[in-house]
Amino acid sequence: MLITRPEHDPATYYLSKWSEKIINKAKEKSVKVIDLHRDKANRKRVIGTLEKVGPRLIILNGHGSDISVQGHDNEIILDKGDREAIKDKIIYARSCRSAKSLGENSILQGAVVYLGYKEDFILFFNPINLRKPLEDKTAELFLEPSNYIPISLLKGHTAGEANNKSKGLFRKNIEKLIIEGPSSDDYYAIRYLLWDMVHQVCLGDENAIF
Amino acid sequence: MTEEKKQQKEEISEDLKNLVIERLDVLPSDKKISIGSVGEFTKDELIERVKQGDEIGQKIVEIELSFLRALKEGTLLEELLFSNQDDKEK
Repeated sequence: MLITRPEHDPATYYLSKWSEKIINKAKEKSVKVIDLHRDKANRKRVIGTLEKVGPRLIILNGHGSDISVQGHDNEIILDKGDREAIKDKIIYARSCRSAKSLGENSILQGAVVYLGYKEDFILFFNPINLRKPLEDKTAELFLEPSNYIPISLLKGHTAGEANNKSKGLFRKNIEKLIIEGPSSDDYYAIRYLLWDMVHQVCLGDENAIF
Repeated sequence: MTEEKKQQKEEISEDLKNLVIERLDVLPSDKKISIGSVGEFTKDELIERVKQGDEIGQKIVEIELSFLRALKEGTLLEELLFSNQDDKEK
């Protein structure tokens, strides 16, 4: 499994720290992890690793656009021209909008599955926890469900199941906040949780297994 | 489009802006929202962006409207019921 963890702003720092849980799960399952952390999350290393080592599961954290996913310092690490690198791969991109065009294109170019977001991935967080993102209960509402896509794949679920189970966790968080009501500090996160959940998609072979 | 219709459309947009601003105003002041690579915003910064009507402002309006639509059309409720049904079947 290859995972990118750029860390150049608060959002990427949060994604990176929460990805430690994915890495721990992979290690627990004896899956070899290629962790491209901070400045290692650059295009040369990502494409080189994909072409030479060929990990089947790719987890990309970082900013994105309709046509690309970015790494450290927003360098583009994957775009529409990377046919060879993505062939036969299961890809999860926790980045904005990349499922819209890059995802569709990746499937056409031979990727098995592309899981990601067709719109901006919104993260609501408490800046007081900036140094300890894993203790941020507000961010957890968003990052625990999205973490569950790779964790579910590592558990042996299909890509479609991973997507549905992840959406189920988003739903549970929404339900919890509705029950708690406006007195909850995170009540107003509901709209952003719904946004992320609705725009999370699984493109390609939903029955694919890692 | 006639001038009258154009003006009406602008008025509706202004109404929507105000509605979204009122809804954003209840967000807690100590939280931030990360939107793509553009950055992180407090509620006051978001309100300012909505007033300006720039790309972020428009995105925030879109998110609020899609949430209100989900409430009005019952899709949020459907999502939650679907989830509970799934849990019972497991």
